[in-house]
Amino acid sequence: MQINPDLQFIKFLKGAGGDTLKKCYQCATCSVVCPLSSDSKPFPRKEMIWAQWGLKDKLVADPDVFLCHQCGDCTAYCPRGAKPGDVLGAIRAYAYTHYGFPAGLANLATSAKNLPILIGLPAIIILVLWAISGGMHLPKAGHIDFGGFFGHWDFKYLSKTVFFIDAIMLPAAGLAILSAYMGVSTMWKKMAESLETKPNFRPSIVQFATEFLWPSVQEIIAHNRFNECGVNQDRARGHKPLMLAFIGLLIVTTYGFIRKDLIGIVVPSMHGPIPLWDPIKILANVSAVAMIYGIFLLWGKRSNDESVSGAKGTFYDWFLIYEIAAVGASGLLAELTRLAGIGSLAYLFYYIHLVAIMMLFLYMPYTKFAHLVYRTFAMAFERYRVSDYIVKKA
Amino acid sequence: MDKNTQSYICTGCGIGAGLDSEALSGMVSKEMKFPCKTHEALCSKSGRELIEGDINSGANTIVIGACSPRVMQDEFNFGDDKIVVRANLREQCVWCQGDDAAADFVQELASDNMRMACTKAQKEELPEPYKLESINKDILVMGGGIAGLTAAKEAAKAGYNVTLIEKAAVLGGKAIGWRKQFPTKAPWTDLENPSIATLVKEVEADSKITVKTETEVARIGGAPGAFRVTLKAAGTTSEWDAPAKVTVDQQDAIAKGEMADPNVGKNIYTAENPDALDYGAVVLATGWAPADVSEYAHLGHGQLKNVVTNAEFEKLAKAGKVPAKVAFIQSPGAAESDSDFPFCNSVTSMVALKQARYVREDNPNGIAYILYQHMRTPGNMEMFYKGAQNDDGIMMTKANVTQVEAAGAGLKVTAKNTLLNEDLELEVDMVVLAAGMVPATKYEDSINLAYRQGPAFLDLDLFDGYADSHFICFPYETRRTGVYTCGGVRKAQTMDETIDDATGAALKAIQCMESADRGVAVHPRSGDQTYPEFFFQRCTQCKRCTEECPFGALDDDEKGTPKPNPTRCRRCGTCMGACPERIIGFKNYNVDMIGSMVKAVEVPDDDEDKLRILALVCENDAYPALDMAGMRRHKISNLVRVIPVRCLGSVNMVWIKDALSSGMDGVILLGCKYGDDYQCHFVKGSEIASRRMENIGETLSTLGLEPERCAVRQVAISDYDSVASVINEFVEEMKGLGPNPFKGF
Repeated sequence: MQINPDLQFIKFLKGAGGDTLKKCYQCATCSVVCPLSSDSKPFPRKEMIWAQWGLKDKLVADPDVFLCHQCGDCTAYCPRGAKPGDVLGAIRAYAYTHYGFPAGLANLATSAKNLPILIGLPAIIILVLWAISGGMHLPKAGHIDFGGFFGHWDFKYLSKTVFFIDAIMLPAAGLAILSAYMGVSTMWKKMAESLETKPNFRPSIVQFATEFLWPSVQEIIAHNRFNECGVNQDRARGHKPLMLAFIGLLIVTTYGFIRKDLIGIVVPSMHGPIPLWDPIKILANVSAVAMIYGIFLLWGKRSNDESVSGAKGTFYDWFLIYEIAAVGASGLLAELTRLAGIGSLAYLFYYIHLVAIMMLFLYMPYTKFAHLVYRTFAMAFERYRVSDYIVKKA
Repeated sequence: MDKNTQSYICTGCGIGAGLDSEALSGMVSKEMKFPCKTHEALCSKSGRELIEGDINSGANTIVIGACSPRVMQDEFNFGDDKIVVRANLREQCVWCQGDDAAADFVQELASDNMRMACTKAQKEELPEPYKLESINKDILVMGGGIAGLTAAKEAAKAGYNVTLIEKAAVLGGKAIGWRKQFPTKAPWTDLENPSIATLVKEVEADSKITVKTETEVARIGGAPGAFRVTLKAAGTTSEWDAPAKVTVDQQDAIAKGEMADPNVGKNIYTAENPDALDYGAVVLATGWAPADVSEYAHLGHGQLKNVVTNAEFEKLAKAGKVPAKVAFIQSPGAAESDSDFPFCNSVTSMVALKQARYVREDNPNGIAYILYQHMRTPGNMEMFYKGAQNDDGIMMTKANVTQVEAAGAGLKVTAKNTLLNEDLELEVDMVVLAAGMVPATKYEDSINLAYRQGPAFLDLDLFDGYADSHFICFPYETRRTGVYTCGGVRKAQTMDETIDDATGAALKAIQCMESADRGVAVHPRSGDQTYPEFFFQRCTQCKRCTEECPFGALDDDEKGTPKPNPTRCRRCGTCMGACPERIIGFKNYNVDMIGSMVKAVEVPDDDEDKLRILALVCENDAYPALDMAGMRRHKISNLVRVIPVRCLGSVNMVWIKDALSSGMDGVILLGCKYGDDYQCHFVKGSEIASRRMENIGETLSTLGLEPERCAVRQVAISDYDSVASVINEFVEEMKGLGPNPFKGF
């Protein structure tokens, strides 16, 4: 192997939470204690020396980097204080930027100093569209309907607000999906190239989905791996409600889309707010609470890590925590103020909520939120590399 | 001295319970003519008062039958003007017998121990220390590097005059070529500016130190306290150059014209240069030279441009900027071996870390690869390692470097078995090989002694050429008393270690001169006032003593008569063991004394069960091991009679004849391990003894005695759990052979 150390890469990792990476002296205690690493494919010992040597190409093509859940067992047992868990986190942060498309946006989303732009961009877009919509007004007290946030028109097949929300969110989500697709497929290609053995034949899309992707998704939902973690069980406790909340909200959003945008075409009354007793509304509210509860746990956990065990606070970690907290809090506050009939505040929170959601979509593929796709596909790849599609070495 | 004898038997510590002490006391009084008293605890206040009372009434030769002579030494010290002999009735008598031992056998063991002790007391004389007519207490330090400068400085600080000689024109040695030096203080991570200039200035300014540059030693004759040193200009030859050792065979070859005489133009070793300078002791600090690594062809030193040694890299770094991409290769073994370059110790690991820092200092994007089999960073240097490790541009891995070859304008390094799980190909600008530090004594005599045994230290092959005698037991010492080594000549070591080392060597030199001044041995028998005395009228000039002395203490004249140098002597008695005429002895340890002790053992000639085995036991390791076996209540055969000896080398074969002719059934010698990893306190003693025993085996068989009746066993001080069985097995063997056929004659 030709060695070309990238000193800038090392510098990046040190700044992104991996400041301890050079302390590793390769004893491999980490690989031994890691509950997620397997005997045949151990990690993170090898990732540590690749990182020390600045070998970024090897690292971004390494599924093990994404399989790591940062339980922190390795960090707890490391005799040199090299914190392998944190280093792998930093490598993932690098990888999301590395695979991010478009690169400009990906780079923008890696640094706290870009926060004014990161927040300002969606805030201005939504503000401008709000202005353009002509619906920019404060509601009358007692009768608040976010369905009228962007105003009304008489075109009964699509409400004006839904139109504007779609106009904001669909491109953002589309861009996120495109970017994630491109990033994941590049990653998959790199990982496949780094295999010592080559595939016999390609699985079809259905085979891929049923044999590799779906089992991984099931595993993720069940939190099997997170539950293996030794020292940081709290993170699984926070992550699980949070993830279920996102799934719940996905169902709610889908329902809302069908109800308002499809059924609403023939039954205009469907455009209004969903009644509180509606099971879906109940699911929405439970999810919102679960989200806030989960992020509250994770927030506390991370602050504690930083104050007690001296973990380095990074933009990478905190951006996602603040972001999710902002989505949850603004949504809940918008709903509460709406129900309380405080129109001006309800609209303000609703506006913030829209900005937060747009940010979530827009920056998902480049920030920590990207683990959603990258880890899922890395887990699928983990199944793939030991499957019969790959030639076994004699 | 008129001996006024008195003996005591202690009944404490189980001795009284294990023995019939009244009967024993009666035997001593009657048979040995030593008035004998018993007491329940001689080491107690009342016990001491009992003895002191007798001393006040005139007793001056005292035998104490109690614990081992290795314990209670202060309690039973009654002054230099008394003879005190201890009989071991505790560790090597009652404690090693067990409850089932036949009482008469144990009693006989105790009786013989008392008989031998009384005999020793009768034969022993008070020592008279050997004093030089005049003593010189100046120190000669050879070598003006860190080691020599420090030794000179420390010796001067202790109040001694020092002459420091240096081959080169300036002081400072290797260190003046260094760009930076290792950290010497917390946090132990940062390189420091060299401190050598300060040290040189201190030495040059010291009024007690005379510096002679461009100077070498031609020869060193004499002995500690009275060395006679001839200096000469560096690089020249002189008639006073120390003559090379010429063996008898070589002498024949020279006479036949088959070999050139290496000593043409040189005065013989006994010749005295009237202009020689006087010194009391010598510190050898002639340092090291960078090793030649061109033999490792796959690494390309000497063939490829930009493949350099660490010493050459240091020069480049001192002169200017070093290249940006550098590979440091710590081990030459390719795929076959994981050994480092020879003469490395831990120093080259740290040199690589230091030089990797140069690469980083000089180049903002510099990269230093360190490819090692071992990184050795002892003590606080672990922090230095951590500091270097934390540098973004320093990459380290364990690796087998298989090839260095030219690639474009630079070099390509191929390495296998790395921590990266892959074979590596590194493109670099320069390759630095971790060449070791070859001690000056590897290829030259250095010390240039005008001694009978030759100008150099002996058997340095055992230490890969380092000037050493036993690294763990006898640091700084050599096999030449009064010559102490430090720095790179003794071990590849860092500057910090060298400073400690040089201080130690300077103190050793002072200890040696002061011991010589008091007329006592310096080491390992520190404070011993005796020394070997020769009865020259009966000397046959056989030269065995001069040849066998492990320390070259004996010179000789043209006829071969030995010329003792008591201040060179370590009092092991190897000469005494060697002498066929038995004319060498110490006041308190001689052939007659031990022979008489052997003969004092009562050998029953009418009881086939009561065999008698003589054990001559080295008092340094084997005797303490026996004591410890007794303390652990291991059973040792009560047929064995133990006599401690200074060293197996001092065992004169006549004692074995004495034992066998007095009817004893076997003789076992217990001494230290010898060979490459010897533990002998006198280096060669146990080895010489086992050689002599091979010869005596042949003599025995001509007399019709089984050669198996004499044996030598190696016992380390840690062998206390096995030493009893070593002895017991030998006793069983003797039982198998049956009684000595000469018994009763």
